[in-house]
Amino acid sequence: MADLPPMTTVKRWLVTTNHKDVGILYIATAIFFLLLGGAMALIFRIQLWEPGGVGILSGNEFNQAVTTHGLLMVFWFLSPIASGFANYLVPLQIGAKDLAFPRMNALSYWFYLFSGVLLIISFFQQGTFAGGWTMYAPLNVPTYTPAMEATTGGNAVILGLMLFVISITIGTVNFLVTIHRSRAEGLGLWNMPMFTWSWLLTVWMMLFAFAALLAALLLLVSDRVLLTQYFATDQGSSLLWAHLFWFFGHPEVYIVFFPALGIMFETFQTFTGRRLVGRKWVIIAMVLVAVQSFLVWMHHMFLTTINLEIKTLMMATTIGISLPFDLMVFALIYTMVKGRVRFTTPFLFSLGALVLFILGGITGVFLGAVVLDYEFRGTYWVVAHFHYVMVSGVTALVAGLYYWWPKITGKMYSETLGKLNFAVYFIGFNMLYFPMFLAWETPRRVFHFAEGAQTYHQVATVGAFILGASFLIMILTFAKSWVSGPEAPDNPWEFSRTAEWAIPSPPPLENWDGRPSYASGRLEFVEDSPAATDGGVAHGQGNQAEAGIEHEEEHADHASIWPFGIGVGTFVFFLGLSGLTPYIVDFAEGTPNPPEGLTTVPEPSMLYPILTVLGIGIMGVTLYKFGMEDFEVPEMNIAERWPFGGVGNTKFGVWVFLASDVVVFGAIIGAYVFMRIHMGWHEWTTVPFASWPGLLNTYVLLTSSFTVILALVMAERKSKKGLLGAMTATLLLGLTFMGVKAYEYSVKFADGEYWWYGLEYSIYYVTTGLHALHVILGLFIAVFMIYRIISVDAYLEDHRPVEFFGLYWHFVDIVWVLLFPLFYLM
Amino acid sequence: MADLRTYTIIYVLLLVLGTGKFVFFEFDFAYSIAIGGTILLAVAKIGLIAAYYQHLIEEPRSITYMMATAVFMVFLLTIAAGYSIQ
Repeated sequence: MADLPPMTTVKRWLVTTNHKDVGILYIATAIFFLLLGGAMALIFRIQLWEPGGVGILSGNEFNQAVTTHGLLMVFWFLSPIASGFANYLVPLQIGAKDLAFPRMNALSYWFYLFSGVLLIISFFQQGTFAGGWTMYAPLNVPTYTPAMEATTGGNAVILGLMLFVISITIGTVNFLVTIHRSRAEGLGLWNMPMFTWSWLLTVWMMLFAFAALLAALLLLVSDRVLLTQYFATDQGSSLLWAHLFWFFGHPEVYIVFFPALGIMFETFQTFTGRRLVGRKWVIIAMVLVAVQSFLVWMHHMFLTTINLEIKTLMMATTIGISLPFDLMVFALIYTMVKGRVRFTTPFLFSLGALVLFILGGITGVFLGAVVLDYEFRGTYWVVAHFHYVMVSGVTALVAGLYYWWPKITGKMYSETLGKLNFAVYFIGFNMLYFPMFLAWETPRRVFHFAEGAQTYHQVATVGAFILGASFLIMILTFAKSWVSGPEAPDNPWEFSRTAEWAIPSPPPLENWDGRPSYASGRLEFVEDSPAATDGGVAHGQGNQAEAGIEHEEEHADHASIWPFGIGVGTFVFFLGLSGLTPYIVDFAEGTPNPPEGLTTVPEPSMLYPILTVLGIGIMGVTLYKFGMEDFEVPEMNIAERWPFGGVGNTKFGVWVFLASDVVVFGAIIGAYVFMRIHMGWHEWTTVPFASWPGLLNTYVLLTSSFTVILALVMAERKSKKGLLGAMTATLLLGLTFMGVKAYEYSVKFADGEYWWYGLEYSIYYVTTGLHALHVILGLFIAVFMIYRIISVDAYLEDHRPVEFFGLYWHFVDIVWVLLFPLFYLM
Repeated sequence: MADLRTYTIIYVLLLVLGTGKFVFFEFDFAYSIAIGGTILLAVAKIGLIAAYYQHLIEEPRSITYMMATAVFMVFLLTIAAGYSIQ
């Protein structure tokens, strides 16, 4: 499918894979979730009008509103709107025609949208998740916590979040490959625009941080649906969750803030008419923050039982991370001082963001000190601090909306309305959040507080409505612009310098007429000869034809329905999973050793198993169609690729995915090590009935690795028979591995020792089960490849897919190298 | 890309190393020696698979650094979390 339907049709938005369309979809959807999360906040702010609440929410409803507000804002609004900007602008800023994997980009969006739909549906499944956005254990699991119960809605939220993280992971791989391998000629990393720089560092942080969250969520889903006990015990469960969550959670602060920072850098440069002061040092400071962000997570755990030495160390690293930020703040201030400021709407929002961030940063230093944190922990000081930080990010993101609105829509907006928007926003923001510092002794997450704090809370509630109104003004401003705004020129801002302003507003489908190049030191559009085409539609074809040069035009596709289809299938599957807990409980209660302390669960509903099976069916069909679709994505022939030259886009993408999977598996293996240390290393019960099945499977999997490499050799030799034989052997060895595993499990089941039998059992079944799931996914790919070899002699001309499959399969083998001694020998 | 002979030699080596781990725990070695030895064997196996079967030695060094960073993250999380409860 090559041609895109017009933008006025629904079909266009269902099939598009173009980065600008996907960017618009991300931004629009994120704003919808912002409004939803904002509505939650307004509801509970009303409840907080007086101590003990005004009665519009019950206790559990209040918890649901607070939890959903946090989840929506942090996950479904902040990162995705930045992702929308990045989708639209990063390819433009680096001189690419699209992202490296356009269909995966669309898939990423659909996963995001459907993950949010899961969250919305959860409200209608006996109530949504109510355990707080940090999902602390054991409030996050049903077992032993009667207050929470195993509601299907809670499951749907956790599954929705998991789908969201999968979406993020796909996007991360895509952006890393794109930014590292599709930069225009002459565009070295140092010279990349600041927004692209901030996004590059964001996706690097995402790659490792979200993988840890995915691991945590996999374990949590396992606890909630299958009744394992990772987070349900008094043997280190809550500490395990805190470590996994905050290893993700602290980098997440910078993940959501960096794109906002990038927008501030861009707008400060444009509206002061001056290059960012200390630009190189600002980039170094951002890199430092990205690295340091992984070294501070335990400052969120000062009130847990972790030892004082590590708390002290984390206090030092926390203070340390504020230093690079100081540099960035001063760079922005000096840029203003040295330039000539134009107080446009985007600049006002950016400046506002800087002021608010300074206040948020300073108040955070208090929380970084162990002793002060003992006092401030769990109070409104924390709430005020992180809203000053996170919502200052939102302020800059609004600046971005105004800044790029003319480029995206081709329409100018009313500066008067924009400035009114800023004034109302800034007043509302400070009325909402500043009184929280004054009412700091109010405990978080409850609506009971001292009567002396009532005035502060009432001012905050009024402020919340003013802040909410400012967003209505924003929507009005944009709507008016869309309907009757004047046409925007290519570059409405006098001193903007990035490449997106050098092309029409809105940009054409494939962005450029010629090939963008910075080889001369400034942006130029080069007309290539056919021998050196950038892979896009070549220009001046008439001349070439006249010269008698034969050149087959490379064609880029922009439309595919299958990402949407896979999104639907996955959504249906996850929705089905959310209601399976009652069935597992029924099953568990029929075994010799059922789990203790199960709380009331909903009645089983046949709807959910049906949805689960239906979802698998839809996923099977759409993934097959996706795999079979002929979709052309030309790779740029001339591009800056440091430091990832010498490896193709897809192979690099596979490696990036594997790096993420290393952290997912590593965190799950780390959970084993942590829980075993907590229990006492030698107190651990070895679960498998003998070590020989592990050894046997080691031999089987190693042999399958050998047959996969053999398949690659055969593909290189163009031997169809050899390739088919090696792939079939791999398939059979994989099935043998699964057979041995099934036998091993069945021996345990015969003794009534299921995954809820004890902590060691949960960890054994989940870790080896997740590995087995990887094997099963690999086997599906192997079957698909064997079918392709038989039907169309695939991989004999281009053997790269065999190599990519091998990279994945060998990784699965490597994981087993660790699991065998950990679970069978030690 | 290495030839079939090299791949075969590595396969045999991997089988031997895999068996070695089993031997450490089935025969009368001290627990600490068995653990230390097993870790060494596991590292050697992973190195061989990654370097030759995944062809990491033929890829740009930056891929190795990226994978090493991912492994570092896992060690960071596990060791720091483990230490925090000592």
